[in-house]
Amino acid sequence: MATDRNRLTPVRLGVSVLVLAVVLIAAICVGAADLGWSRVAAELWAQLSGTTSPLDQREADILWQLRVPRVVLAGLVGAALASAGAAYQGVFRNPLADPYLLGAAAGAGLGATVAVVFAPDARTWIIGPIPLAAFFGALLGVGLTWLLGRSASGTGTAILLLAGVAVAAFLTAVQTFVQQLDTNSIKQVYTWMLGGLNTSGWQDVLITLPYLVPAGIVLCLCTRLLDVLALGDDEAGSLGVRPGRVRLVVLGAASLATAAAVSVSGLIGFVGIVVPHVVRLLAGASYRVVLPLSLIGGGIFLVIADEIARTVIAPAELPLGVITAFTGAPFFVLVLRRNRGKLR
Amino acid sequence: MSRLALSILLLFTLVGCAGRETAPAATSSATAGFPVRVDVPGGQPLTLDRRPDHIVSLSPSSTETLFAIGAGAQVVAVDDQSDYPPAAPHTALSGLTPNVEAIAAYKPDLVVASADTSGLVAGLGKLGIKTLVLPSAQTLDDAYAQMTTLGKATGQTPAADKLVAGLKSDLAALVAATPRPATPLTYYHELSQDYYSANSRTFVGQVYGLFGLVNVADTAPSSSGYPQLSAEALVKADPKLIFLADTQCCRQDAAAVAARPGWSAISAVKTGNVVGLDDDVASRWGPRLLDFAKAVAAAVTKAAPGGH
Amino acid sequence: MTGLVLRGVGAGYAGAFAVRGVDGDVPAGGWLIVIGPNGAGKSTLLKAVAGLLPHDGEIRVGGGPLRDLSTRERARLIGYAPQVPQLPEGLSVTDYVLLGRTPHLGFLARESHRDLRLVTEALDRLDLGALAGRALHTLSGGERQRAVLARVLAQQPRLLLLDEPTTGLDIGHAQGLLDLVDRLRQEDGTTVLATVHDLTFAAQYADRLLLLDGGKVAASGTPSEVLNAGTVREHYAAEVDVLATRGAEIVVAPTRAGRIPPQA
Repeated sequence: MATDRNRLTPVRLGVSVLVLAVVLIAAICVGAADLGWSRVAAELWAQLSGTTSPLDQREADILWQLRVPRVVLAGLVGAALASAGAAYQGVFRNPLADPYLLGAAAGAGLGATVAVVFAPDARTWIIGPIPLAAFFGALLGVGLTWLLGRSASGTGTAILLLAGVAVAAFLTAVQTFVQQLDTNSIKQVYTWMLGGLNTSGWQDVLITLPYLVPAGIVLCLCTRLLDVLALGDDEAGSLGVRPGRVRLVVLGAASLATAAAVSVSGLIGFVGIVVPHVVRLLAGASYRVVLPLSLIGGGIFLVIADEIARTVIAPAELPLGVITAFTGAPFFVLVLRRNRGKLR
Repeated sequence: MSRLALSILLLFTLVGCAGRETAPAATSSATAGFPVRVDVPGGQPLTLDRRPDHIVSLSPSSTETLFAIGAGAQVVAVDDQSDYPPAAPHTALSGLTPNVEAIAAYKPDLVVASADTSGLVAGLGKLGIKTLVLPSAQTLDDAYAQMTTLGKATGQTPAADKLVAGLKSDLAALVAATPRPATPLTYYHELSQDYYSANSRTFVGQVYGLFGLVNVADTAPSSSGYPQLSAEALVKADPKLIFLADTQCCRQDAAAVAARPGWSAISAVKTGNVVGLDDDVASRWGPRLLDFAKAVAAAVTKAAPGGH
Repeated sequence: MTGLVLRGVGAGYAGAFAVRGVDGDVPAGGWLIVIGPNGAGKSTLLKAVAGLLPHDGEIRVGGGPLRDLSTRERARLIGYAPQVPQLPEGLSVTDYVLLGRTPHLGFLARESHRDLRLVTEALDRLDLGALAGRALHTLSGGERQRAVLARVLAQQPRLLLLDEPTTGLDIGHAQGLLDLVDRLRQEDGTTVLATVHDLTFAAQYADRLLLLDGGKVAASGTPSEVLNAGTVREHYAAEVDVLATRGAEIVVAPTRAGRIPPQA
């Protein structure tokens, strides 16, 4: 059918999910502690079928307490950032939009800094103070941008972008000021901001799921609205869509997903911009395809990147943000070149 | 001579006299040994004409050494990170981002720093102030050499020599008194709670090495000596001792470590051999390296089979 | 049926009126063309009728006030093609035209076969069948204008609002498009309100004309009532001759005879 290029056909969806499953299992089988991939596979099978596993207690702990939650979290964070990036690009009609555009990153950084400098000894809390503060900080950043951007004419996207820049600059300045109050905090804040999944456990998965799942669902439901929004506010209005309202809902869901991801993984860059673009080049420009496939593609991308980060120089680790940049950029260039003829 | 030239000459003489009057009265024993030529590791030798009495220290390790060799009275200001000994004249000067003007305001005759950051030496040189750069010690011998250097530079050579000799013998005695199990104990030295560690080629690594300990970070490729380890690898390596050098910066302790996912399976955690170190003591190379060694010795004694 | 009634309509931006006091009547299936010099408020009037701007006065579509319609009802009734349409890159023609079906789909509903069939019909009527799978940015100017019209048609509107639909089209394509709109309104009974800058085309296709100048109605009536040299001179500051073709259709021909002073 002529429109297959822009349809989320069962074939495309199925292939993407399959790739994700394969990548997840591969990432679980190979890790820094050399457990042997066949032994891990046997353990996974044992869990399903009830046969005995070749792993001893400590190895099983490494697998189930450290490796599996980390792989799952990588998938969730990647999915969140990539789908949020696609959503932001749809709302702003701008291919350079990323999920940190409206002050989420600056707000999260400020939250983390405040938690490090001022927080009481909060080990007894279920969630550590840093993820909590980063989460609310990110939402605060986006909220401030929305309020500031709205007070100017309606919810025009150019105003929102400028407001985002202003809010980010302001919050970063406040963060620097707070940091100077206690220079000992610099090390801890910096390592958090660099981004990484080194200390992930099931706890992190549990605290982010309640935000990521609803946000992801809302975004996937809004895909047709994003396509209509691409026609401009006037034409969208004539088709019965209210641009301001759609923007509010989509940006709200995307920012929630971003805040949840950032709270457990720090600021991992590149995923939110590159993955939607690659999906667009491979599968077409309609958001009905781009958004769900970015969600899956983001998960695939970050699981692979984290796998590289923790195995290439094992037992040492590479910073995850470096890996995403190093793998994202060349792949993007490759896809661009192959599709040169298809673009203007 | 013209009257103008005479009055100018008079003016300069008066200013010169005024300047000299503010200098403290120097005893003959203090000026003995000066002028002295101090060799600087990896740099140009420094010549000091007279005993420095207005020392500014921008290096916490050097601050501790200065006070330990009896040169405390010669120190007028120390940087914001120099918090030991408590008697040291603490100021807001920064050793990481030094400001030449702020340092010069203390009218130092010698500045001790751990790095020539952003043209510090040149900047102070323009004001006629000499800087002694003593970078992070890579080995124990480096640390001893720095103490000797500081002794020479401050005219406290006998005290410095005594300090070094004392440290060497105390350290040797400590090592001798500590049990050394047939199977060497493995250890993990934690710098931050995202698993940055120090391998055995670093200064702290060498102190651990004196006790025959094996560092789990040695298998990790690292050019700096400070690799970031993977949680999985740490649990798999199962160190018998864990030393936490992030108790103050990052609020880590034995309970926090035990709460980490998967870490309760590590031998060090199971046997209660997670040791919290003072962040500063574990990172400086001044006289308190003995305190660090004592903490290590106590941990090894506790962890060695049959020992408590 | 869906006629359009305007009574004292005013609209503007940021508190200032761009057009006010507009009266007009378009019977169901009729075609009213709004003409006027640049900046007269034509686009603003169209946007007000489309419901994209708040308006003073009364606009009645199909007998009921525009204000009383919900966004969705309005979208099902009125199709709007702006002067400068935004065509998303990378979208195929079919998918673009499919967007026109949005007002008829439920929130979660996917397009049905019927929707796809309507789209194909719209493409065929506009001679875009061969280009159905092409990406929008690969189309020529004329093809793009037709694609926009196809999208608006797919909406199955009762009232069609076209803002300068012949922009950028050569005389052949412009004539073709206007013929098409005429045929469509006769076949479907759609009421059409359009702005056209070329006075000859406006005269030849409209049932009635509305001349706006400075935000107010300067003249209103049949093309022959509205268009004469004096009116054009007064509102456009242009010299024209109003002529007739062999088929007795009006032609508004610019003339230089009255402008160039004779050589001394």
